[in-house]
Amino acid sequence: MFEIVSNWVAAFLTLCIFSFLYKDNPFYRFAEYLFVGVTAGYTIPLTWNMSFIPYVYRPLFLQHKFILLIPAFIGILYIFTFNRKLNWLSRYPIAFGMGMVGMGVPLSMHASVLVQMRGAMIPIESINSLLVFIGTITILLYFYFSKAHTGTYGKVVKIGIWYMMIGFGASFGYTVMARISLLIGRIQFLVSDVLHIIK
Amino acid sequence: MKRSIPLAIVIILGFLFVGYVFIPHKISSDFYEWYMEWIKAMSPFGVILGIMSIIMTHTARIQHKVPNWQYSIVTLIAMIFTAYAGFAWGTQEGTPFMWLFKNVQMPMGATMFSLLAFYIASASYKAFRARSAEATVLLLAAIIVMLGQVPVGVSLFGEGINDITHWILNVPNLASKRGIALGVGLGMVATSLRILLGIERTYLGGGE
Amino acid sequence: MNIFERLQMLDRRWIFLVVAIAIIVPLIIPFNSKTYTTEPTEKLYRLIDSYAPAPDEKAIEKDRALLLVFTHDASTMSELFPMEVAILRHCFARNIKVFTLTFLPSAAPIMDYAINTVKEEFPEVKSGEHYVNFGYKIGALMLPIILGMGEDISEAVDIDAEGRKISSLPIMKNIKNYNEMNLIMDFSGSSAGGAWIVYARSKFGANVGAGVTAVMAADEYPYLQTGQLTGMLAGLKGAAEYEKLVDVFATNPDPAKREFSRELLKDTKYDDAITNPNIKTKFKQARIGMNAQSVAHIMIIVFILIGNIGYFITKYKQKQQG
Repeated sequence: MFEIVSNWVAAFLTLCIFSFLYKDNPFYRFAEYLFVGVTAGYTIPLTWNMSFIPYVYRPLFLQHKFILLIPAFIGILYIFTFNRKLNWLSRYPIAFGMGMVGMGVPLSMHASVLVQMRGAMIPIESINSLLVFIGTITILLYFYFSKAHTGTYGKVVKIGIWYMMIGFGASFGYTVMARISLLIGRIQFLVSDVLHIIK
Repeated sequence: MKRSIPLAIVIILGFLFVGYVFIPHKISSDFYEWYMEWIKAMSPFGVILGIMSIIMTHTARIQHKVPNWQYSIVTLIAMIFTAYAGFAWGTQEGTPFMWLFKNVQMPMGATMFSLLAFYIASASYKAFRARSAEATVLLLAAIIVMLGQVPVGVSLFGEGINDITHWILNVPNLASKRGIALGVGLGMVATSLRILLGIERTYLGGGE
Repeated sequence: MNIFERLQMLDRRWIFLVVAIAIIVPLIIPFNSKTYTTEPTEKLYRLIDSYAPAPDEKAIEKDRALLLVFTHDASTMSELFPMEVAILRHCFARNIKVFTLTFLPSAAPIMDYAINTVKEEFPEVKSGEHYVNFGYKIGALMLPIILGMGEDISEAVDIDAEGRKISSLPIMKNIKNYNEMNLIMDFSGSSAGGAWIVYARSKFGANVGAGVTAVMAADEYPYLQTGQLTGMLAGLKGAAEYEKLVDVFATNPDPAKREFSRELLKDTKYDDAITNPNIKTKFKQARIGMNAQSVAHIMIIVFILIGNIGYFITKYKQKQQG
């Protein structure tokens, strides 16, 4: 019985959101504002249990690692974001978090650039590998905007544009599939879990 | 001083992290453990920012009686009740908190995303026009990939559609995404370097 | 105003109605359609299947395991949940050691739900012996755990979702680090593999596979080609392909037919899964969804064609008048 009521609550809220497709209405607005409130409220106990208790409360008060008072104090400075005079204090916790960008430089260079370059440097043994090579080079040339895309350079870069159009077409095809899949999921919920039309 | 000290923190920590990646010495891993311990102690307070923002926005809407201000009451009550449910009855399976997550947040979140299917259909009908040769190529590639993904495409056009889709994904799409990935990767490295060297300062926000 | 001009000005709510009908009808009226498997999915299936114990080997002694990482929330469940269920079903049917882990609080209930959904059909499967749910670990621990598992999984993860010490569990026999837990499947709605490719693969040589939403699938092909990703399940289609492979091989009633073979895959008797009452609905969700997907794709293509035909006719008429 409880599960039936829960499913009907979920179905009601689902239909409230879908009602927006007809037009904006109070049911949709209610569901939208409820969603924002529940999502915000959801993060509070989770952050308390999963983050504050194990990494602030326990080390400070049970393990007496009082040095952690410093990062806790720096973290509290976040709240000054909203104060016009003192919002410069909120830069400290942001700066501390941004420090990890140093690790991103060599690692993204490796994973996003060097490995991809190595993958592109394959022997051109077939027509397909030649096409991939031409495509990769022309697209990289396209992204070099310091030189005007005119004349011979413009013609070469045009090939890159054709490749990108095919790539974007493939992405669009997949995006359609993804969005439809999400809708299928919701309809499956309504049709099987709520209305029991299919088992 | 209000900008220079945070900037100095980013630069010093940034270079220490570069060192961490390349230096396999114990001092490197000790630095990393120290940093992780401190960042974990700082992170819960970031959530306060989000919660404060929501409370301030919605209480201002209620105070000034802006249009639809009544819905802001719904948001604030929902937030307070959900948080209270988590603290009072716990966050495990079977609690009111998890019930709210499974029957309110999960369905609504999934439904918000699924609205996109309708909009993509509407956009396909109203906006996707083969105005130029490039746009035509884009639409053709999209149609072939869409047909290749579904069983009915193979039933209508034979197994050749699978091979063409496979070729599109593994040759021109691969080249396109690789070129874009390289460009994005280089852009990420450039931006990270700019932050590391103190040239990029937008994360510090405006003001003095 | 001719028909095409009228069609161009059609209220979009009629389009929404057509979309809704196009999805609802195939779901209510099931019909069989053939699922064609592709190379990235087959590659992944064969790698996971290679972790199954030999007929004369005890499952608990096997020194191979698989880690499933849930990096998504409920909004992408419709695409990723069927593939998670299919892989878990594969593991439980073939006695493959499997671990589950997440760094997102919203994925923890999904993980439990996936395990419980599959476990119902395998009453002999026990937590701690056949599978372990490492549970939700806070995001800040992600890097320490990914790096730590390269040395010792029990030390890096420490306790599982039920509060037990990992080192005390029978499943950990002959499983120490990435050398044994050699495949990580990351189910993600945003960055596939991500930190696992950068750390686990580059540093420790672990295989990384990805279960991704279709939106990201096209972008991941460069990583497949470089070998950074060992295999990929792309959206609902990938899930449908894996479900079929599990039906044809892993759960084949004839033990002699459980090895992958292309000839068996072509056998048409496995194409009636959707109307086959012996296969539970929860193990063919993706294939049922693909029927609706088929109709929806044809509908979108028809919309594009009608829209463009109308556009060109209107443009031609305007040119003639102008």
